[in-house]
Amino acid sequence: MRHARVENWSRGDSPIHRRHAAAKILAALAILFSIASLQSGALTGYILYIALLLLAGRVARLPLVAMLRAAAAVLPFALCFALVTALAGDRELAVRLVIRSYISALTAVVLVATTPMPRLIAGLEWLRTPRFLTQVMQFLYRYLIVLMEEAGAMGRAAASRAGALRTIQFRQAAGAASVLFARSYARAEAIHRALLARGFEGQMPVFRTQRFTIADAGLATAAGAFAVVVRTLA
Amino acid sequence: MDAIAVPSIACLARRAQRECDHHRVPLMGVMGAFIFAAQMINFPVGTGTSSHLVGGALLSFTLGPAAASIVMTAILATQALVFQDGGLLALGANIFNMAIAGVFAGYLPYVLLRGGRAGVFAGGVLSLLASAGLALMELIQSGVRMPRPALAISIALFAVSALIEGAITVAVMQALEKIQPGFIRQPRGMRAGAIVGAAAAGLAGLGIWFASARPDGIQKLSLDPGIASHARAFLTSPIAEYKLQLVSSPFLAKSLAGLIGLLIVYVVCLGLSRILSGARQLPQQEVA
Repeated sequence: MRHARVENWSRGDSPIHRRHAAAKILAALAILFSIASLQSGALTGYILYIALLLLAGRVARLPLVAMLRAAAAVLPFALCFALVTALAGDRELAVRLVIRSYISALTAVVLVATTPMPRLIAGLEWLRTPRFLTQVMQFLYRYLIVLMEEAGAMGRAAASRAGALRTIQFRQAAGAASVLFARSYARAEAIHRALLARGFEGQMPVFRTQRFTIADAGLATAAGAFAVVVRTLA
Repeated sequence: MDAIAVPSIACLARRAQRECDHHRVPLMGVMGAFIFAAQMINFPVGTGTSSHLVGGALLSFTLGPAAASIVMTAILATQALVFQDGGLLALGANIFNMAIAGVFAGYLPYVLLRGGRAGVFAGGVLSLLASAGLALMELIQSGVRMPRPALAISIALFAVSALIEGAITVAVMQALEKIQPGFIRQPRGMRAGAIVGAAAAGLAGLGIWFASARPDGIQKLSLDPGIASHARAFLTSPIAEYKLQLVSSPFLAKSLAGLIGLLIVYVVCLGLSRILSGARQLPQQEVA
């Protein structure tokens, strides 16, 4: 369970964990906008951002090496295009492509590792993301691991029946996918009935709402200011 | 691309919210989780290689295109945030390519061919082709160098994976029909959806054509007057114009272009959704 780890990190407690999710989202957006607009040759700018994110990880008491490794999941795709670009003769652009996508992934790791999912979704709603979309994300996240486990169990069952015939045929794979579809559909209906029995009216209740305090505004402003400073210096 | 993706999804979300009542929320969320899980199932292709479902077309045939777009958006956002798959910087582009263009391009042949095997297959193929074509175009436009052989290889790969997606979608739909035919939505003439689908498919085709015609990147096109630069302005409008005017100060140009583009598209979208909702509410009131 690669993911359960990030989920555990997000339940920690630190000055960063305590900030309003919306403030952290705004800070992350400031960083993203800034790195997207950094010009060529601005390696110092990129280094400053990595340092900032590592500092945030340190303050949030996250395991830094594991954090860096989690962000590396973005690399295969970026490296692929960087390689083509490098072969075409633009080595500088290739390096920039890789660093850029790595920093964006690191930003996401810091954001998700310091904000539990329900809070993150509340933060998105605070920023006026359509509620329909955030609620769909909420349910998706809740049942993600459940259904992945179910698919894994089906795979193990098929392997144990097929024995040495490890190559499952195309039609059988389609059958497995359709059975998974039917089970997911049935599960969704059961979930909905159970929710209705508990008074569901289209959105999950939020048990503890957070106030957007001065400290939260401070975090977002500081990140914005950092982005502007790096932009002008680098 | 974020400038286009954000307001379109906001629009679609409003629309989906109006069209279906709240019982669809858990269903859509769980079906999003299903797509994640279904991607773990390997489909053997040839010897030694395997592929998996992408799912945009399948979702649009079962949940309807508007709902499928929302679910795909939620999937892409979760992938970028939680699994660092795709990355946040590419999220806007990914949403536009896969959740909007991919889904509607897949739905178009399904409607035109009135379902059936051919419609399902063409839907699967086209949904992936549209996404891949757009992605390729955006990559080239953002300055990634693609020499001719690399471009040819990637187009060939896209074509093959599009055919595979079509085959997988057909196989899964047939198996679903055996389990319970009620899962599959009959294709309904959705004019707006068909137009968006056609536009997306056209854009993707244009993207591939441009990419193959000008392997050095679309930037070059701004030098030629005529159709090419018009198309370029159309493809990235209204941002392209700002970029061209303010190109002397690149940082200003980029951030301003982003912000102004976002604002304009958002306002246009807001207006459209107002008009749409106004038009929609009237008949409902009459019925009531």
